Amino acid sequence: MADEFMKGFACLMVGGLGWMTIKGWYNTPSFEGAQLTGELTIEEPTVFDQIALFMGDAFFWFAVLGALTFWVVLPLVSEFQTYLNERSA
Amino acid sequence: MSDNDTDDVRTDGSGTGIVSPDDETPAWSERKERTQGLSRLTYEYFERARREDQDLRQQSDYVERDVLAFPAWPHEMMRNIALTSFFVGMILFVSATLPPEMPNPANSSVTPAIILPDWYLYWSFGLLKLGPLNPELSILGGSKLMADRTYGVLANVVVVGFVAIVPFLNKGSARRPVEQPFWAAVGMSGVIFSLTIAALSIKNLVPMDSHLLFDLTFLVPIVSATITYAVLKTMREGYMFDLNRRYYRLRPPK
Repeated sequence: MADEFMKGFACLMVGGLGWMTIKGWYNTPSFEGAQLTGELTIEEPTVFDQIALFMGDAFFWFAVLGALTFWVVLPLVSEFQTYLNERSA
Repeated sequence: MSDNDTDDVRTDGSGTGIVSPDDETPAWSERKERTQGLSRLTYEYFERARREDQDLRQQSDYVERDVLAFPAWPHEMMRNIALTSFFVGMILFVSATLPPEMPNPANSSVTPAIILPDWYLYWSFGLLKLGPLNPELSILGGSKLMADRTYGVLANVVVVGFVAIVPFLNKGSARRPVEQPFWAAVGMSGVIFSLTIAALSIKNLVPMDSHLLFDLTFLVPIVSATITYAVLKTMREGYMFDLNRRYYRLRPPK
């Protein structure tokens, strides 16, 4: 169980760090004002900008889905399997 | 160490002091051996380290004595190097990828519209704004005993004084909040109150009715204390609680 928690926590931290970095580059117009959730700071994204923006979304969903998977989904699956085993036994 | 130290329980404070209450309760070694993955690897590593340490001590000419910890090198040192590397790496990463903006220097000849102390002093600043609590005494003809600003300073004295005497209260041996739910609830309400009183100090920046904010400043700590007490009381049962209670009751030898 502790390993599952650590995996989910690692997903949350790695994804959150990547998301924070990308959003700090592209969605933080100024030091005073909206942080990480502001307007897009570039007009015409190049290929590298598009890759970075995609990676920002990927990091965000990796954090959310990774934590959900290891903290909620996999424990639920194992509980359900235990329940089925006890029921059949 | 003798060869029969696995089944020989010493109660003079020299051993771990952990005693299984009956035959059905697994011992610490059995609990560790049953686990898998990283915890299994960790157990094997420390078990091997302990074994090597034991062998060395049996071979050496030194007088044998029990120690309560692992040697600093390499165990503690490798862990500290790993932790230090992680945090240094995080500092380098964040400072390289998200360098902070350097704004213009502060203009010392212009008074800002809202004067606030540094954020870590907001709680003290909020205690100066407790004027509505200053009672208007009818015996004095409806006037107050002291000015609101004096009352605020006195509130600081009371709160700081209470925090100062906390170390001298409650000298119990509890090591965990669950051992003493009441005092844990009192502490939790203090923590929450330090946050709410800080929010009160910047009430013109908080998007909320200031009267409601003033009431919440004192209600939320009470509610949080109640929740803390209820949760900790609920946690005072079960196998893990008993196990941890035996473990945390261990005291280092004098």
